[in-house]
Amino acid sequence: MGMRRREFLKVAAAGAAAAPLLHGRARAQAKPVRIGYTLSATGPYSVGAQITQAPNYTLWQEQVNARGGLAVKGEGRRPIEFISIDDRSEIETAVRFYEKLATDDKVDLMLPPWGSAMNFAIAPVASKYGYPLLGPTAISAKFRELAIPYFYTFLVQPEGQMKAVAALLKDLKAQGKISKVAVAYVNDLFGIELNAAAGPALKEAGLEVVDTKSYPLGAKDLSPLLKGFKAAGADAFVGLTYPPDNILVTSQAKEVDWNPPVFFTGVGTAFPFYRERFKGAEGVMGIGGWNPKVKFAGAREYYDAHVKKHQKKEPDRWASAFAYASLQILEKCVGEVGLDRPKIKAMLDATEFQTVAGPIKFARGENVATPGMVGQWQKGEFEIVWPRAWATGAAVVPKAPWA
Amino acid sequence: MKLTLLVDVVGAGLMTGGIYALVALGLNLQYGLMRVLNVAHGEFLMVGAYLTYSLHTAWGVNPLLTLLVTGPAAFGAGLVLHRLLYARLVAASDSREALESRSLLLSFGLLFVLQNAALLLWSADLKGYSYLSTPFRVLGTVFPANRVVAACVALGLSVGFYLVLQRSLMGKAVRALMQEPEGAQLVGIDVNRLHGLCFGIGIAMSAVTGSLVSMLFELTPFIGLPYTVTALVVVILGGLGNVMGSLLGGLLLGLVETASVYLVASDVRIIASYAVLSLILILKPSGLFGR
Repeated sequence: MGMRRREFLKVAAAGAAAAPLLHGRARAQAKPVRIGYTLSATGPYSVGAQITQAPNYTLWQEQVNARGGLAVKGEGRRPIEFISIDDRSEIETAVRFYEKLATDDKVDLMLPPWGSAMNFAIAPVASKYGYPLLGPTAISAKFRELAIPYFYTFLVQPEGQMKAVAALLKDLKAQGKISKVAVAYVNDLFGIELNAAAGPALKEAGLEVVDTKSYPLGAKDLSPLLKGFKAAGADAFVGLTYPPDNILVTSQAKEVDWNPPVFFTGVGTAFPFYRERFKGAEGVMGIGGWNPKVKFAGAREYYDAHVKKHQKKEPDRWASAFAYASLQILEKCVGEVGLDRPKIKAMLDATEFQTVAGPIKFARGENVATPGMVGQWQKGEFEIVWPRAWATGAAVVPKAPWA
Repeated sequence: MKLTLLVDVVGAGLMTGGIYALVALGLNLQYGLMRVLNVAHGEFLMVGAYLTYSLHTAWGVNPLLTLLVTGPAAFGAGLVLHRLLYARLVAASDSREALESRSLLLSFGLLFVLQNAALLLWSADLKGYSYLSTPFRVLGTVFPANRVVAACVALGLSVGFYLVLQRSLMGKAVRALMQEPEGAQLVGIDVNRLHGLCFGIGIAMSAVTGSLVSMLFELTPFIGLPYTVTALVVVILGGLGNVMGSLLGGLLLGLVETASVYLVASDVRIIASYAVLSLILILKPSGLFGR
């Protein structure tokens, strides 16, 4: 909590100090565009929030304000002011704060919190007050069912994601590199939905699934699972995992002496932290993919600016770029239609946007322009290895021995 | 039952249980002796884990050697905390109930202070390192070598502490104080000194467990609370103020959890451990070894 408040105070103090200087000088120094959000700085969601979203929010604010502010149609440039708190990973706290943002602060725009469960809870609130919300870290088929009018998702949803994994495995099977798949999933909305999508996708691709096992969030020992997979002769591991258990399953695979030709894991694999933790993590595959080599305008510049602003902290290789892309899209909309929120929604529904994460196009609130992707750590970079049309490298199978 | 499965279950169970036992011993020592329920117990584990992480990654100190730093440092911190906070609380509380509720509030405060301090120092990012991350083969199966080492150290420390309590004069005084606080004072046992000492030892045990845990799991400033909860379960299971109970209770909980994971599924681990706890509370409300 301290961090958020300190940042806010810093901005407020700088504003107060600068006010007398600016007074008389610039009518162009218009009143700020106020943007509200919560992100977890404490609690279990803070790991993801502080890697994937927070650095992009602050980077974007700094960049836009350095350009003189956010270009608002018909009003010129206005500086961006954030109104935010640490939601402490508590859903009720976030919901209350978004209510307050809409009714009390009457902010101009809102940004989403981190994670599927959080977005689930606050999306209806934002929608009720007509705030468009661009969620870069929400993945669940339920969003489609709910069809919350002002909510937009970026990540490829479970079905598309698992079809990509299945297609890659099918291709590897045709090359005679693998034949037996084992699936482990975390018993949480994310894992359950991905697993539900994995079953049919793997079956359709003609792959033999020798074992499927779930485990609870916060599991402390996954070696029983891995020993079982090893004994069943699985040569492709598909782990639909969350960050802490993702690390656990990777280190334990090595510790029980299992190095299958394909080792695929879920959320967290694309974090630079994962690469450092496993000495390069050479050959490990993971869900999603993005890297500074993708051929989209501004991708490399975004990567460099992120590293420069955040003490050499690299963006993660999946949702970070989408978090930044969501801000690019918001900026573009405000530039073309102003702060009229129904008009912003109309533009979101009708436009194909070009971003650092590639083209983004929403159909009923779901990004349909990005395909499901599989990445693989290769010599320090998370190369996109599937689908072929998006690939920045070829899949290396069997993976290298554990470092 | 196949031999390898038996080895798997018992081996992994003792490994998990050894860690549980050590962290529970520390909590029980504080509660059994002072009636101070320290819900920040797991936070000291977290701090110990981060200290080991920092010493290992910044200066390449062997994680096992860091126990020689985290243990004494935490012991010192425990003495200071006792002198500054808990001793006053004990002196100012006129009934046991008042002390229990006030110390609970105090330790909640400590919990937030320690979590936020860790957040500022180490950030919310996952932190971890690889140590002895290699297979250890035994009786036809394989265990992570770091878990074997961590469990051996934890069990060694627990048993060692138990022996000290049984054999030494100080241990005798501690046991006397646990059994009969007023009687112990009558025969001239210095309660305040012993409280401070045991509070320090309890915190040192938590921090040392943290050093071991850092070899196995990723760290965040929020890993502490689940260990406090587990320690509470073990303490209740084994009996309040019963050192042997904590040791055996910890091992039992580890075995139950592991057996449920191997024989049923990972998802029933928590259910199984609470089922055992409920069963024991129904059959013997004072805990397995409680009087």
